[in-house]
Amino acid sequence: MSIIELKNVCYVYGKKTPYQINALENIDLRIEENCITGIIGHTGSGKSTLIQMLNGLMKPDSGEVIVDGENIWNKPKEISKIRYKVGMVMQYPEYQLFADTVGEDIAYGPKNMGLSNDEINHRIEESARFCGIDAQTLQKSPFDLSGGQKRRVALAGVMAMRPKILVLDEPAAGLDPRGRREILGGICEYRKQSGTTVIIVSHSMEDMAMYCDRLAVMSHGKLAMEGSCSEVFAQTEILKSAGLDVPEISNIISALRLKGVKISRNIYTVDGAFSAICDYVRRSKNG
Amino acid sequence: MDNIALGQYYEGNSVIHRLDPRSKLLFVIVFIVSIFVAKDIYAFAFLAAAVVLFVAVSRVPIRIILKGLKPLTIIIIFTAVLNMFWTTSDADPIFSVTIIPNFWTMTLHWKGLINAGILALRIILLLIGTTLFFSYTTTPIELTDGLEKGLAPLKKIKVPVHEFAMMMTIALRFIPTLVDETTKIMNAQKARGAEFSSGGLIKRAKALIPIIIPLFVSSFRRAEELATAMECRCYHGGNGRTRMKVLKMKARDYIFLLLSIAMLAGVILINIYANGYKL
Repeated sequence: MSIIELKNVCYVYGKKTPYQINALENIDLRIEENCITGIIGHTGSGKSTLIQMLNGLMKPDSGEVIVDGENIWNKPKEISKIRYKVGMVMQYPEYQLFADTVGEDIAYGPKNMGLSNDEINHRIEESARFCGIDAQTLQKSPFDLSGGQKRRVALAGVMAMRPKILVLDEPAAGLDPRGRREILGGICEYRKQSGTTVIIVSHSMEDMAMYCDRLAVMSHGKLAMEGSCSEVFAQTEILKSAGLDVPEISNIISALRLKGVKISRNIYTVDGAFSAICDYVRRSKNG
Repeated sequence: MDNIALGQYYEGNSVIHRLDPRSKLLFVIVFIVSIFVAKDIYAFAFLAAAVVLFVAVSRVPIRIILKGLKPLTIIIIFTAVLNMFWTTSDADPIFSVTIIPNFWTMTLHWKGLINAGILALRIILLLIGTTLFFSYTTTPIELTDGLEKGLAPLKKIKVPVHEFAMMMTIALRFIPTLVDETTKIMNAQKARGAEFSSGGLIKRAKALIPIIIPLFVSSFRRAEELATAMECRCYHGGNGRTRMKVLKMKARDYIFLLLSIAMLAGVILINIYANGYKL
């Protein structure tokens, strides 16, 4: 079942000025419940604008945004309720921290929701656990933490609102490989346990191939294609015209196939490639 | 946050665009003096004609100039209305209303109306004249360059002219960046359920804390990064620094300055002849 539906959404920046840009053109997109959907696209393709439509930070010029069966702009005054339902972690969220302690910062969202103190404390604990923040860190000032830690705190701050849908804009940008794994792994784990629908924006094909169930490709403000990872990565031409590429490992697999190595073409992760190559070696030894 | 009319440069290649920023600075000073010297309606008509002429020469669309005035309409109207009632004259008032007996009586005279009109015209001309020369036709960089070069003689008495100019350039350069950053942080906090436009005064002020603190933190970080980057490129102040674009006064600059003096002289002459005013 689709939990978010975009119908013919359009958005124009700088209307009626010489700098007019069509950021979104007739976007029709359904996001499946309980999935990790990746939104990929070149810089300036409209990814960030698209996700800001999902929680009502931006209002489409035309078209409908339907979340959980309801058009979010039916009652513009209650738009903040949509923001509790669709949690959004912006790019470089570490710059939004402001409170005296990490715990207080995580509590900001739940407090705005008007929850009781017990409930807030419970949620701080829970989301801190998912994000790998220990009890000691909760008492520290967020400004004393490292970049990766700060980002996890910001993530925990949104998770603590227990949104039905969690939208993340480049959650792993600028982190080292270990930081990337920790943050993306944590999000995966959180989704498994909480059943949240997750949407991730990124331009790292490798990360997307590893963590996403479905992919939507944006190009020049249009939806170029949408489908499962293997469906999308099979369309090399469309990806290239959108200024993107298949994951590095897929190129290696294609090169191997050209050399006559008989392995499947639908391999998009390093782990997948590893087991496929092991299989192939075993088979050729036995045969 | 996207309707800030500060320092909007209007791309163009008119004579006014190409003038040396120093002559524009001098011109604006003379212009301001003329506006305050002007005493009656004829002098203002003369100045208004001059402003219209300059706008036409600069080829900046009237629409854009009027749009720049829009945010200040309330201030202009407010000052004009205040002045209207604060003017006294011996002639019979148009009307008078007693608001607090023996203490405050509001009276309106014809002279008050005229004064209010002149005041409004004065403010409008001042705004159009200065913004036309300072922001619509001059990039902020040109302007600070002009200031630095124009005030260079002050270096002899140890005024840190270069440092001031550099500070101004940096401040202007970072306005859009800060606006951008503010929008981003506001969106992030809105996504966490922040409300900026509802509740009482105290609640609203409190709601700003989650914006101001991150903004300060990132400004300090940016300042530090910028300082490091400048030092890495061997910046060490103004001494011995050369420029890519060297400012040079040309014939058109001198003609323009002569024009501005003619404008001031014109205003003084009108003042003297039209009403027999003495300076």
